[in-house]
Amino acid sequence: MIELSNVAKAFGARQILRDISFTVSAGEVACLIGPSGSGKSTILRTINGLESHDAGRITVDGTLLSDKTLPAIRRKVSMVFQRFNLFPHRTVIENIIEGPVHVLREDAETARARAIELLQRVGLADRADAYPGQLSGGQQQRVGIARALAMQPQAILFDEPTSALDPERVGEVLAVIRELAEDGMTMVVVTHEIAFAREVADRALFIDEGVIVENGPARDVLTAPSTERARLFLERVLHH
Amino acid sequence: MSEFLTDAVAFLPVLARGLWTTVLLTLCALAVSLALGLVWALMGMSHHAPLRWTNKLVINTVRGIPIIVQLFCVYFVLPDWGIDFPPFLAGVIGLGIAYSVYQAENLRGGFESVDRQLIEAGTALGMSRGMITRRIVMPLGLRTALPSFGNTTVMLLKDSSIASTITVAELTRSGQLLAISTFKNGTVYVLIALLYLAASIPLAMAVRALEKKAAWR
Repeated sequence: MIELSNVAKAFGARQILRDISFTVSAGEVACLIGPSGSGKSTILRTINGLESHDAGRITVDGTLLSDKTLPAIRRKVSMVFQRFNLFPHRTVIENIIEGPVHVLREDAETARARAIELLQRVGLADRADAYPGQLSGGQQQRVGIARALAMQPQAILFDEPTSALDPERVGEVLAVIRELAEDGMTMVVVTHEIAFAREVADRALFIDEGVIVENGPARDVLTAPSTERARLFLERVLHH
Repeated sequence: MSEFLTDAVAFLPVLARGLWTTVLLTLCALAVSLALGLVWALMGMSHHAPLRWTNKLVINTVRGIPIIVQLFCVYFVLPDWGIDFPPFLAGVIGLGIAYSVYQAENLRGGFESVDRQLIEAGTALGMSRGMITRRIVMPLGLRTALPSFGNTTVMLLKDSSIASTITVAELTRSGQLLAISTFKNGTVYVLIALLYLAASIPLAMAVRALEKKAAWR
């Protein structure tokens, strides 16, 4: 479904990613973990072209990412952001139908009907006409997920979806993501929630200094990592 | 004092007609300046370098020439090339062009203040650059630009008095003619000052109301 081979990227003289290669198959949930500044968010952002890459190949559903195929790839892959990034001048439902109506050119009625279904799914059907500023962080992020789902993507990228939330709001967002995993959605999740990753992820990748240090079944990587670096990181995160 | 009041009552009808022209001139020039300003602002943010250069050239040229000289150019110089505008229209065009560069800077400031992450959200949804500009950057940026937009409009109202020099019978010119014919300089100019003030206060209030209306949540 998503395949990166030998992807590299530098910001000026600083090498951010080196030789990143991994595959996420359809229906798989892959978690990217690692210290901040390790490049895990950058990896995620190269997949839908929010960041360009200097070398290597990225393919999504058999399509090689290039300037030409970027629009097609963005239709296949949705994204959920750390800081939600909802459009503050549009209501919840307008946020959700923005992409379907203006990018996919669906008629507004169809898009609205699906948006309401999605809002029910994330438990916010009664807030359809609220503005993002009137919602809690957890609610905003659930709208962010509904907005991503409204594009009927084949995969969703999550960029630290719970890092900007109050601790008591994290659970409601993770619950929605967990449900998506159960429904077989292909997902790549950058997260610091190790317990959640253990429970939901099929695959875990430990990234450090722009390199994939470990890549394997989540159970193995997150409970019994084979490298010292990953072991130390997990220890630090879990005792926090 | 009572003489001032009787004079005021006698002068007000003439000055009121001048004030009406001033308001009309301001509103028309405002529309022109906003339309042109939007064009300059979008050019300034373009990805095409020649458009950005043109924008810089226009802004620096227009900003560097006194408004009164710009009005003279439109009213006295253009007729040499066979382009002959009546005074009011020349005033609208001259003030509109002169103010378009300030509006452009206001708008650009607003557009550039829009959170980059929202633009990313649009990009990730697959929106084109034009769509992002129309649907995210402009509505959010205009709201941020509103307060400075209000200031500029009040300045435009006052600078519309410069059109008196190209024979537009707006408030200042009506007053000048009245003062010359009656020798009541004090009464006339105090009245003019009060009338400008009276026009600018509702203007500021209208912008404030617009700001409130544009606020969400």
